[in-house]
Amino acid sequence: MADTRATFVSHKINKIRWRQQQKQSLQESDVFASGSWDDEQNKVCLWKVERQKVQSGEMDDGGGKGYVESDPVTLCEAPHRGDVTGLEYMGQDHIVASSSTGTITIYKHHTNSQTLGVSQQWEKVHHHYGQMCPCTCLAVRDDVIVSSGEDGRVNIIQVGHKTPNRVIDKADSSTVNSITFLKQTEFVTVNSTGQLKIFDLRTNSDEPTQTLSVTGELTPLQCIDKHPSQAHIVATGGQDGVLGMWDLRHDKFPVSLMEAHSGTVWEVRFHPTAPDHLFTCSEDGCVWHWDGSQVNATPVGMVTGINQITGTGAGSGGGNLSTPRQFQYGGSAVATGLTNPWLATDIAKNKIEITSLLDQKSLPINTLDVAGHTLLCGTDGETIFTMNLGSLR
Amino acid sequence: MAEREREPHFCAINDPSCSQGLQAVWGCGNQFFVFPGKKAILLNERRPLLMKEETIREVKWDMDLHRPVLRKLVNESHNVFTCLQEQAKKTSGAALHPHIIRSSKQYRASLKAYSLELKILADSTIDEEQKQDFLDHLQLLEMAELIWGLCEILFIDSPAGGLVIAPLLEWLRFHFQTGEQMFLEIIREEQPEHHPLYWDTIYRLVLQGQAEHVRRLLSLHSSKHSKAFSSMDELLKKMPQHTQLFRGHSIAEFDMKWRHWRDECERRLEEGEFSSYGNLETIGKILTGNDEVFSEFRDLCETWYHMLVSKLLYQNPTIKGFDLQYHIQVCLDEYRSNTRIGELDNILLSALEYDIHQVIKDSSAVFSNWWFVAHLTDLLQHCGQLDSHKLQFGSNLREFLLLEYATSLMSHKSLWIVGVSYLDHCPEFGRKYLEHFMENISIDSEKKAQKLLHICQERNLAEQAKSICKVMGRRHMQHKRLGAALTWFLKSKDVALSTVIAERFLFEYSEKGSFSNLDLIDNLGPSMLLSNRLTFLGKYREFHKLYEEKEFQAAGQLLLSLLQAKLAPKQFWVTLLVDAIPLLEAQEVIFSSAQTFDLMHCLEELMREFKDIDVREKEKLALLRLALTRNLSRAIVTEGTVRRT
Repeated sequence: MADTRATFVSHKINKIRWRQQQKQSLQESDVFASGSWDDEQNKVCLWKVERQKVQSGEMDDGGGKGYVESDPVTLCEAPHRGDVTGLEYMGQDHIVASSSTGTITIYKHHTNSQTLGVSQQWEKVHHHYGQMCPCTCLAVRDDVIVSSGEDGRVNIIQVGHKTPNRVIDKADSSTVNSITFLKQTEFVTVNSTGQLKIFDLRTNSDEPTQTLSVTGELTPLQCIDKHPSQAHIVATGGQDGVLGMWDLRHDKFPVSLMEAHSGTVWEVRFHPTAPDHLFTCSEDGCVWHWDGSQVNATPVGMVTGINQITGTGAGSGGGNLSTPRQFQYGGSAVATGLTNPWLATDIAKNKIEITSLLDQKSLPINTLDVAGHTLLCGTDGETIFTMNLGSLR
Repeated sequence: MAEREREPHFCAINDPSCSQGLQAVWGCGNQFFVFPGKKAILLNERRPLLMKEETIREVKWDMDLHRPVLRKLVNESHNVFTCLQEQAKKTSGAALHPHIIRSSKQYRASLKAYSLELKILADSTIDEEQKQDFLDHLQLLEMAELIWGLCEILFIDSPAGGLVIAPLLEWLRFHFQTGEQMFLEIIREEQPEHHPLYWDTIYRLVLQGQAEHVRRLLSLHSSKHSKAFSSMDELLKKMPQHTQLFRGHSIAEFDMKWRHWRDECERRLEEGEFSSYGNLETIGKILTGNDEVFSEFRDLCETWYHMLVSKLLYQNPTIKGFDLQYHIQVCLDEYRSNTRIGELDNILLSALEYDIHQVIKDSSAVFSNWWFVAHLTDLLQHCGQLDSHKLQFGSNLREFLLLEYATSLMSHKSLWIVGVSYLDHCPEFGRKYLEHFMENISIDSEKKAQKLLHICQERNLAEQAKSICKVMGRRHMQHKRLGAALTWFLKSKDVALSTVIAERFLFEYSEKGSFSNLDLIDNLGPSMLLSNRLTFLGKYREFHKLYEEKEFQAAGQLLLSLLQAKLAPKQFWVTLLVDAIPLLEAQEVIFSSAQTFDLMHCLEELMREFKDIDVREKEKLALLRLALTRNLSRAIVTEGTVRRT
């Protein structure tokens, strides 16, 4: 069980993001940004977590827990018009926020004076022809921002320019709920009809280069995250609480759909440096840790072996796991034959270990972010949870 | 706040149209709307416009619970509350009791935590008015904690054997910390006995039963080796401690010990062991429970309830909770002269008299928010302390207060979600309240709409869920976002409005000759079965796709089946039949003779029903008729050929 701290912050949190680590820095990031929503006056806040070294002998299981965290404290804050619907760090001290008023704002964190000021703003880039329209999401890559909203429009914004570089007016018939970059020139959106669309910035066409979808009911997809090292693998979370895994290389449909939460999955994140670990948070008030690191404990050959066994109806769950054990060590040298755990076959999926990180259900959890050993969650219960995950492999 | 309620707030409205008079209607929670008018109007009644320009003004007042610091209290206590309700579902009676006590302590802990935070805030604020404001709140929180602490001892914790002095002493030490603070200050002095408050502090500590602290201070006195000092030290050391009661000593045993000890105190006092030190003699008098000495220390006790506990500690240490009330009057009389009895005193009095309802009633009046009474009453209800009481209206007292508290939360832009959770725990009226609130919460974004929808779906509020979808869909329709609108109507399975959207799409096609929102229409899947019109739209679009992919055979069959199944609206038949022309003129024969007859039948039916088709369409249909006959002849020939070979 993770070591969890709850901080009450007097506003509902809609987005939370760690500051990116400085390059070549070995230290974990200790500053993060949060954005509030659904309040009279919303704001963007910066926080700092103090970490104290602990002698390794004092902890039960040394490993990554070589420190104790204190409650995060506010560094500075800035008012924000409308709900903060998207929040991303851009470099070390710039934070981009999107608003339910359709506006995109870049805040600068002045580290000397510890203040937060507006550095650039694009007003109402999302709109219903003059009327207000919420922007729902944004993604950042270097100095390019892409954003989308309930108007189904996609804006591609270059920092420094006064107006968006390019606007795809009819990117989607329904609402776009989340957006993320795949590569420098490619981004992917998910919408309210269960579709995943890939756009390429190099083409002049406004049409997506590829469209994938969940078949059946038109269940909205709410969030998406890309595998940190393998750009063709993405995970999505749906309004029905389902976690979807997609291989963008071949299929038009998801590789797997796993029924998970009992409410909308608001955010899904791969661990940036330990991508065999995935985290989801949901309207149902739960945060889940999906640990896929055990899937590859068995070489692929063995996995197919298990398939055959279940084909004969021989083993139940326990049996499946015990059979390959005998072969495990002999085959462990076959490193190249390992599949990515998230694309593994159904049987291997039984080995994904799922843990709920909160002992008690909280109010809806809107957002999470993970870096190093620390997971952050923001909730409608005006709480920020800071969880120490220990060492992940 | 009680203090503020006494002095009314004035808010002038400078509007000539209001000079005639003012009317008001209630809004949700802490707000109402004022507008010019003389006569009161009834709900739903239309009111004639009085003047050209009239404005409706929204009047809101500040809720202390909406302050940042107190919002933390709201959220933290919500967690405690839900946790207890979960436990209450699983267990009851004695098994639940430890949970109730733990919850009570958690509530008090958060009160204490946020008092501290307010104190820090107040200390760091320069603005006088704001500072005062913080201090006002601080005072209320401290008062809440004081009352809660007493109620916990008397009604919730019910200590072993009904002996209350030990927990009451702890309660005192928690709230009257001057003695403790002075103690810490004095022991750091070089010559403690010369500290001006040296003896006062000792008395304070004696009054709170802190024998160990007193011994420590006495040991710092320069004449500590004198006979009188060591005699006093011995007495204090021997003083029976209440903690022994929990270690298996019976009450009678403890009582006997205490009597022995007091006899010894009296003996030493009478023998004049302390006569050379007046201060020690005074301590001795306290230890023997001398009435006069307590009157003398009126100021050190500060309040009547402090004196009550101190006095009973030395006069009647094994008193039971129910007997406390018989000793109150004497203590009250001591303080009668300098202060009048305040609200706090009244509440504490009622508590000591075991009049729970009076405590709740008075507390509701003193605290402007319902936080305190709602949570306390919930605990008391779980303890079974409120079973005897029936309300003349509504459900029970617990539910009544929870509803009030939830309502005050629902009126806040952001805290409403906490309110929902409280309403869930009101078995009788919670649902009705929630239904009303759900219909009135403003929806600013799809995300919020989804959250509201989830709340409705979890609780089977089908009608409200439908209405949320309708609102969202309509809003998108207004913004000409038909695709997005359709997703909402599909969500609520709204046949009528999905049909409207499908018709709009078809209309758009017949106007422009092409479809918009293709990404949605192409992926409707099984959801197109919701309405006939939608099915037709989906199928018709499929026809186009087949046609584009040059799958003429399949396209032809689909077209025919659309006409035969009567899925298509009659107005659209012309378009469909015209779409058939290229298929009829295709190189290979697509429609068999029988199928061609079917098409002809449709055409005739159309001509019969729509006499006044405009000229251009008539031309097209004439063309169709020609194509049909040509196709028929070709079909008959090919069919004949096939038969012969």
